[in-house]
Amino acid sequence: MSWQDLSLILPAFIAGIIVVASHIPLGREVVKRGIIFIDLAIAQIAGVGVIAAGLFDIESAIGTQLFAGGAALAGALLLIITEKKLGRFQEPLIGVLFVLAASLGLLMLANDPHGGESLKEMLSGQVLWVTSQHILLSAAVLLPTTALWLLLKNKFGEAAFYPLFAIAITASVQLVGVYLVFATLVIPALATIRAKRYPLLKGLTIGLLGYGIGLLVSLKWDLAASPIIVWCLASLSLLFAFVFSKAKQLNLQ
Amino acid sequence: MRFYLLFSLLLLPGICWGKVHVFACEPEWASLTEQLAGDHATIFTATHAQQDPHHIEARPSLIAQMRKADMVVCTGADLEVGWLPLLIRRSGNAKVQTNKPGYFEAAMEVERLDIPESVDRSQGDVHSAGNPHVHLDPNRITTIAAALSKRLAAIDPDNQSAYIEQLKTFQAKWNEHVSKWQLKAKPLRGMKIVTHHKDWVYLNHWLGLQELATIEPKPGIPPSAKDQKRLLTELSANKPDAIVLAPYQNAKAANWLSQKLDAGIIKLPYTVGGDGQSQDLFNLFDRTIDLLLSAQRAIK
Repeated sequence: MSWQDLSLILPAFIAGIIVVASHIPLGREVVKRGIIFIDLAIAQIAGVGVIAAGLFDIESAIGTQLFAGGAALAGALLLIITEKKLGRFQEPLIGVLFVLAASLGLLMLANDPHGGESLKEMLSGQVLWVTSQHILLSAAVLLPTTALWLLLKNKFGEAAFYPLFAIAITASVQLVGVYLVFATLVIPALATIRAKRYPLLKGLTIGLLGYGIGLLVSLKWDLAASPIIVWCLASLSLLFAFVFSKAKQLNLQ
Repeated sequence: MRFYLLFSLLLLPGICWGKVHVFACEPEWASLTEQLAGDHATIFTATHAQQDPHHIEARPSLIAQMRKADMVVCTGADLEVGWLPLLIRRSGNAKVQTNKPGYFEAAMEVERLDIPESVDRSQGDVHSAGNPHVHLDPNRITTIAAALSKRLAAIDPDNQSAYIEQLKTFQAKWNEHVSKWQLKAKPLRGMKIVTHHKDWVYLNHWLGLQELATIEPKPGIPPSAKDQKRLLTELSANKPDAIVLAPYQNAKAANWLSQKLDAGIIKLPYTVGGDGQSQDLFNLFDRTIDLLLSAQRAIK
């Protein structure tokens, strides 16, 4: 493996660093609240926004982003209301919202295959093909959003969480795809949810190693990058969870 | 002794340097380039016959190959619009950017069918440059071969005479086969087929096959219940001889229609590598015509 080979996966790794850095704190919140499928629902709603932009013949990237972000924010608003009124049923409601958005997308797509392509891209993600411009734009959205969440978390709680989460997901899903976003949010958070010390730091480590090793494996055996990173994140988390629990046992003794 | 061994190892890549690196999007163009360039090119094929060339998954090798490519040979006319522009941009390779001689779009070298008068989204996945699936008309291949050979010579001027020579050899062999195919395929004229997607238009045009309907109501859009009903009523009155399917297409809809109409399905290779026998452009057409003829015989 030469430097030139490594430069093939470098942009994807930088994208990974940004997604990991911004999603580990959000992921902890998602797992704590037990609203695991919220990212799928929000991404799907943003996808509906992209299709709607297509139906209104909006071609510009910014216009499409505004539609996607607007739809995601509307979804987030709805989720704040449902959490207030029907808190106990938040998770099933998120599931319902997901299938509604997905089905609405299919209905709207009946006459628009181009929207279908953007939707499919949004779901599977092509992390290897990100360009530096793409990375800068996403970093400019993702990092401040998460910073804002860390600042506002104790003051505003869910009122801040849902909208900020919606913005972050809309950006990250387009950068790396839904599967990777889901994996980055949930898997490291799950592995470190019981950690008493430095849970965020441990989550970040798992995330970065997962992307790094996943991309190297993808390079070595020429595999599609996103799915292999998902598997690396999961295997590493299992390993870390095991090591953490062993370490804890030793400390107690 | 050891010194010489090391020295000759250093020279080894030098032998490869002389070759033109070609990035071919589809197997048909890899095969044509191979015919025209012979030993003067090393060819990488981005998709295989079982893959839908409209969409492919990003792998590291695609970027690596695009980086070292001297030339890109693709269908063009928007067929690969979902991934090729991204890949070329991501590679940063100046030689193959779309305005450079290293970028060759086969479909743009010939007249295309189905060019829409106006393009809007309501018509489905319509390519404003016309139908891009041009490789199934051997006469168009003839035109494309001449243009591709010229382009190869422009990129690799040292071997110009070799390319001219190879083109002559190819054309002689190709023309001979085309007349043979046309003669053999005469009984196919007027054969009634149903296809899945508009990717057989050029074959139909060349052989005089009659496309009664496509299963997709509009390109890229799956049929609704109403479309299915319309398809059934139309085709019950005018029964097709066969339903044609490409290797990369899902057989579900074709199976459904085949049961309802009691019509057979033929899986045509569609491109080089589409089945075991179709290993280059020559036996791709041999095989396609044989399969169509045997399907026709089966009905009678």
